[in-house]
Amino acid sequence: MNMTNLRLRHRIGTLLCGALVATGIAASTAAQSAVPNLEGVWKNVTPTSSLKPVSGAIPFTAQGRKQFDENKRLQAKGNIDDYDIALSRCSSPGTPRLMVMPGRFKIWQRYGVMTFDFEWNRALRQIDASGQPPKEDFLGMGLVPTMTGTSVGHWEGDTLVAETTNISDRTLLDDLVPHTLDLKVTEHLHLVDADTLENRITIEDPSYFKRPWVAVMTYKRQPPTLFPEDVCLDRHDAHQPAFASR
Amino acid sequence: MKTDFPWQLRLNGLALAGVAALALGVGVASAQLPPRGAPPALGAAGGPPGGLPPGGLPPGGPPGGPPPGAPSGPSLGLPPPPPPTPVEILVTGLPAPMPGALIPVPPLAPDAPMPAAAPGDIQGTWYHNQALEFRMQRDMYGNLAPYNMTGAKVLARRVNSLKDGTPFINASAKCRPPGPQWQRDLNMPFQIFQSKDWIEFVFEEYHARWHVILDPSKAPRPAQKEYMGYSVGHWSGDTLVVESNDFRQALWLDVDGTPLSANGKLVQRIRKVDNGDHAPFLELITTIVDPTYYTRPWSVVRTFGWQPASTLFREYNCEEQIGDPSVNADAGLLEEPRD
Repeated sequence: MNMTNLRLRHRIGTLLCGALVATGIAASTAAQSAVPNLEGVWKNVTPTSSLKPVSGAIPFTAQGRKQFDENKRLQAKGNIDDYDIALSRCSSPGTPRLMVMPGRFKIWQRYGVMTFDFEWNRALRQIDASGQPPKEDFLGMGLVPTMTGTSVGHWEGDTLVAETTNISDRTLLDDLVPHTLDLKVTEHLHLVDADTLENRITIEDPSYFKRPWVAVMTYKRQPPTLFPEDVCLDRHDAHQPAFASR
Repeated sequence: MKTDFPWQLRLNGLALAGVAALALGVGVASAQLPPRGAPPALGAAGGPPGGLPPGGLPPGGPPGGPPPGAPSGPSLGLPPPPPPTPVEILVTGLPAPMPGALIPVPPLAPDAPMPAAAPGDIQGTWYHNQALEFRMQRDMYGNLAPYNMTGAKVLARRVNSLKDGTPFINASAKCRPPGPQWQRDLNMPFQIFQSKDWIEFVFEEYHARWHVILDPSKAPRPAQKEYMGYSVGHWSGDTLVVESNDFRQALWLDVDGTPLSANGKLVQRIRKVDNGDHAPFLELITTIVDPTYYTRPWSVVRTFGWQPASTLFREYNCEEQIGDPSVNADAGLLEEPRD
């Protein structure tokens, strides 16, 4: 990244000013770029355990409906590990579930990489908006699906558009809705005002959904803070719920 | 430009002392040795910034006699080395640790973003660029770590448990944050974020965090003790001096189980070094202070290369395996006997 060119294109809007006040020195590094600064502490004010489209019902295919019903059956039987390893094992809830859960998270925005640092179990996800080619992957590790998938982003005006693929089918969209390995999650993140971040999440997975569908999450800026060390596996071992805030 | 760390392939022991000398540079050359047997002077002003650890050079010299390469023979009139102590016999008789390796990292791109010029700004992405030491064994000067017999027995028990194929439970093996020293030693990247009130280290491995609090009034001790402890830091010149204590449980300082009791503390001295060779690094000296297991404070040094290309982490999700309900909750490891 050519920081000199970026500095030339530097502009500070009112949104950026708000972020600078909120995050102090930390914001100054990200502020060198020409894109909006999303850094700060955020809290999901529209969390859900049951993700809903902005209009209508989830457009399940027959196959998707069948798996959803199976998850409901497993939930009723208490066979949690058979459909939700985030709940049963504290495994990362992945993308997009981390973004629809309750709780706080931080966004760090350095060298074009957006790091989402969640209070829950110290979970991390990242969006690569650096524009850099992928790193060498001699061992082919990138071929293995991960819970948070591979997220590549770019800026369209003041909106960060992130496409995530390669998401493990051992994750759910929320507490029950399944997906396949073909899931593509497209997020449009933008600041509505200095303290409000909106995320329009588009779900595409043709095997399970007849058409793409959109859900919207809203996050509110929180005071700067250090998150206490949250260790989900300690709750797990104490037979307490993985998601304590529910 | 090629990033050249000639120490990368060295393994441990005396080679590490070479690293220390290289990293410390003038600090070592100009340091004043404390009087022989003088008590270590721990604390904020206990040593020059980025130079010697707070206690100064450990008194007594290497226990095995003069360092390799030193002239020897009766013509110098040197007294014979003292016989090894029972502690030395015990720890030097243990099976050797596994040698650490290091996957080479690509050199820094010519147009790579660089750290801030200000010495007091250590933000960015860093990567431990020395081979992992499975067992520390020696301090930064090459001296055997000053275990007391209790510490030596704990270490021996852990090393022998590995040899016997019956390893003990430890935080890392159970996907818990393993404490600041082991966490930093792993050859995985971390990011540093900094404000006037605190500094946050966010690690790829264990998705762990290490918080260094600069203003305790803004971040008091948490209600529940944390695996990573409670760390308060201040700037002493260009060096960040951090004292970590209040650990939730005793730590393993490395893979083989070099011990730190729950009442022990770590004093870390961190400074950013830029020799103008397009290869900036952090130097981090950790002084281990734990009378439960050691006869005196002792120090190790690590370096962390500037690695902005590693800002994009790999996902680390050990919970998927460790939380598996079909697996023994202790991951098949044995409970370690209490001392």
